[in-house]
Amino acid sequence: MSVIELEDVTKRYPSGDGFIEALKGVDFHADRGEMVTVIGPSGSGKSTMLNIIGLLDTPTEGIVRHDGRDVSRFSEDELTEERRSGIGFVFQAFHLLPMLTATENVELPSMWDTSVDRRDRAVDLLERVGLGDRLDHTPDRLSGGQKQRVAIARALINEPELVLADEPTGNLDQATGQTILDELTRLKEEENIAIVAVTHDDQLLEYADRVVRIVDGVIQDVEVTRA
Amino acid sequence: MSVGDLLWRFPSAKMAWRNLGRNRVRTGLAALGIVIGVVAIASIGMAGAAIQQQAASDLGSLTNEVTVSAGEDSDSNGLTDDQVEEIRDLVGDATVVPQKSNATEITGRNGEEARVSVTALTEASTLYNASSGEVPDRLQSGALLSEETATRLGLELGDPIEYNGRLYRIIGLLESDSGGFGDFGGNELLLPLSALSEQEYYDSATIVAEDGDEAEAIANTLESEFNQQARGETAEILNVQSFGNIQEQIGSFLNTLNLALLGIGGISLVVASVAILNVMLMSTIERRGEIGVLRAVGVRRAEVLRMILAEAAFLGVVGGVIGATISLLVGTALFELLTDNPLSVLGWASAQYLLWGFLFAVLASLLSGLYPAWKAANDPPVESLRG
Repeated sequence: MSVIELEDVTKRYPSGDGFIEALKGVDFHADRGEMVTVIGPSGSGKSTMLNIIGLLDTPTEGIVRHDGRDVSRFSEDELTEERRSGIGFVFQAFHLLPMLTATENVELPSMWDTSVDRRDRAVDLLERVGLGDRLDHTPDRLSGGQKQRVAIARALINEPELVLADEPTGNLDQATGQTILDELTRLKEEENIAIVAVTHDDQLLEYADRVVRIVDGVIQDVEVTRA
Repeated sequence: MSVGDLLWRFPSAKMAWRNLGRNRVRTGLAALGIVIGVVAIASIGMAGAAIQQQAASDLGSLTNEVTVSAGEDSDSNGLTDDQVEEIRDLVGDATVVPQKSNATEITGRNGEEARVSVTALTEASTLYNASSGEVPDRLQSGALLSEETATRLGLELGDPIEYNGRLYRIIGLLESDSGGFGDFGGNELLLPLSALSEQEYYDSATIVAEDGDEAEAIANTLESEFNQQARGETAEILNVQSFGNIQEQIGSFLNTLNLALLGIGGISLVVASVAILNVMLMSTIERRGEIGVLRAVGVRRAEVLRMILAEAAFLGVVGGVIGATISLLVGTALFELLTDNPLSVLGWASAQYLLWGFLFAVLASLLSGLYPAWKAANDPPVESLRG
């Protein structure tokens, strides 16, 4: 069973008198243990697709299944619960909260669950991405690569089955980007999760198990890099 | 243990506290607005309380007295012993001072003459204060003279005064402004009741109550007991005069004045809450992307709402506490100045304004935080992530 599945998904936005069709009948899926990279020129609809995969947005038509359940007509509050329990996010600009320490940033998605204490897991994840000596550092005292590793640890805190990465190496130099991708790949294996990454970066293609190209809201081809 | 550690168990409060710490100048200025509002409200309220208290104590000696004399429909041309006894029974703990009065001329050592009003009474110390010598609780012998008159006539303590063929030794001089209503300062001679024993009736009786309210109640009791006749008719057996309602009127005037001033103070709190609304709105717009991240990683709308409301509440609480503290100092100074009793600032009449000021501050801040919090919580994460 796929972790996430899009079936004939269409997304239309109102624009002026008519509509813009950002996605036109897209089929997509991602399974545990694989990294799927989505590439495409800007305006191709890949951000819209990522938003729908990440349950941040709902499709105009078509079906979205998360862990086999149809979530296409979920309310915003129901989608929030799905994201909270099952999806992690890594952003291009890291998006760490400046007033929180590395550990607190990692704990953030579970901070409001007073029933569980994720402190140990947060520390464990930070140690696994090599930041065991930076636990109490605030983001302004971390380098770009270190920030992205904190963000990766944050994405994994709730033991999700799916991690979405939007240009995860976009703000990093080549060498740092490579170590981040090594990190992601290793955690993908260790945690047995699906990773969906959107990128312009050719570097990411080397790490992908599958590459999906999208142009003008339509999936063009699917390329299996390593089966 | 820092505040942050204490708030660990309340994630929204913890986040709010950290958020406020990010821009201390802005937070400080927003709280300053609230401080000013609270100080305005609380200080004005406490000043009003101080003025009211001072007015009550100034008017106290005037308004707690009831003066009774024979009315138009009385059978006698004065108060009888029986009537005085009846009045004593009706007024409870209040002191009744029956008096007989007359007028005479006395001659001083220096040959000067002065016309004085003579009041014969027993319970002298209830109504009069001495500037020298003493006023006895029960005046049995001797005389008391207004200080002014004594000075003019060259009379001193121990000198004799002749009245109606008998000599009375001066045992005290009266403060010129002592005594009740109708004492126009000076030219007053107090003698024991025995001095005017040829007068059968008392000319008047002064009843001294605890306060204006009690005096008013006593006056009403006397009116109904003596002057209400059968079949609803009235006859003026006793002429009852009291000034308790003056205090009431002055009190209600001061209340009105106080409310008007509080309204002005309230405006400053409204201004402060608009400033908070502005600050909260700006800071949520600035943090739009950040709030989008929170929502994306699964933080619920209600949790975002609580976080931002907690920020506004903190501004109100911090501003309120500082404002109330400053107001307490201002209030203490005001009471020291107006009533010479700085500790009465802690009485409920004035301390309540500290509580109101604080509560209004928190309430105004929460109300101001409501819209920004609602707006931030309901921003779709896709939109807010875009920045």
